[in-house]
Amino acid sequence: MPINLDLITGAFAFFFTVLIFSYLLGDNPLFRIGSYIFVGVTAGYVASVAMWQVVYPRLIYPLVYGASTDKLLVFFPLLLAGFLFLKISPRTSHLGSPAMAYVVGVSAAVTVGGAVIGTILPQTWATINLFDMQTSQSWLDVIESAGNGIIILIALVATLSYFHFGARPTADGAPRRFVPIEWLAWLGRIFIAVTLGTLFAGVLLASLTALIERVSSLYLFISSFF
Amino acid sequence: MKYVSAFFAIAFGLLVLAGYFVPALEPLQALLISWAGILLAVASLIGVFNLITVHGEKIRSREKNSGYSSLLLVSLVLTFLLGLALGPSHPVMQGVVESVILPVEASLMAILSVTLLYAAIRLLRRRVDVMSVIFLLTVLAVLVWSLALPPYGELALFGNTLRPWLTQVLALGGARGILIGVALGALTTGLRVLLAFDRPYGGK
Repeated sequence: MPINLDLITGAFAFFFTVLIFSYLLGDNPLFRIGSYIFVGVTAGYVASVAMWQVVYPRLIYPLVYGASTDKLLVFFPLLLAGFLFLKISPRTSHLGSPAMAYVVGVSAAVTVGGAVIGTILPQTWATINLFDMQTSQSWLDVIESAGNGIIILIALVATLSYFHFGARPTADGAPRRFVPIEWLAWLGRIFIAVTLGTLFAGVLLASLTALIERVSSLYLFISSFF
Repeated sequence: MKYVSAFFAIAFGLLVLAGYFVPALEPLQALLISWAGILLAVASLIGVFNLITVHGEKIRSREKNSGYSSLLLVSLVLTFLLGLALGPSHPVMQGVVESVILPVEASLMAILSVTLLYAAIRLLRRRVDVMSVIFLLTVLAVLVWSLALPPYGELALFGNTLRPWLTQVLALGGARGILIGVALGALTTGLRVLLAFDRPYGGK
């Protein structure tokens, strides 16, 4: 008799959904069993993906089967990977620091490049382009685009002002921000509250969709037996 | 060793950064990022090994709740060996993903809806000020204006005009400010690491 893989998958999915949903009654052993197994399975899966998709094809395969240039190119990451393994023991941990420093240095450079090219410049250009009226077909379009652009620009400047923490000491020694910055920061708080409210509502809608999907899958699994 | 580490971080970091501005350095930048990818994969294996060590120690010293650690270790080792033998794209491994990882992730997301509702009610009871009222009114507005009533569908004024204006004008300005603020923070932190003012890899 062939094994029905769908039925086994469905039964396990049902079992783990019930284990996790038991958290609605408070922290309990069933929830802990579900979450510990989840962590174990996920860690095992991630490790196998790292082995199959990165370590084997990009480190081990070129070293064993590659041409001499490939072997030369993997020598440096292989050396650093060896140093990284020294991080496991507290006694040899300091020897792994250069490998960590390499990863941190490259990551910092990618972060700096990504922040400038991926966020600051595109977001600034997008704000500037709101005032580009060439595509507007009527005066009403121009007024609408310009009005929305001004509101977005004020919101942007006010929100950034909220994160400006530069202050000068007053006569009594207490630090105080520049007065216009203080007003803009107060306005910024309102825009931040609206933004976070919108994000919160989005996450709530997404989690409600997940709740409906899970309850529906529980119902379908039980009803498949009748 | 700390000078070697700082040299590695500064030299390779600046080479990668230069790759964004000097086209001739792009192949070198790609190679250095590819090596960092390999090292990150090795670091994730070391992280998993550390997880095994920590929970193994809990079982060995018979700490309270070490039974859960045994479950974790058994499931981790079995999944890893199965993944190593079959490969992560094998139907059995995909079955493991669909029967454990996806249902648990979706269930945790589902529980989040209850937790978020509870947090919103607590906010209303414990901290009633202008900002929390604006926050909760925005949440209510987005939720109610997203509703589609069965006989009518989306209400025209709310669904087509007010909700887009709230989410695509008012919230967009704030979101853009937060994004640029985060990017400026990341830029400063990255530059501090590249100039060795901060050394999170060890060494003071």
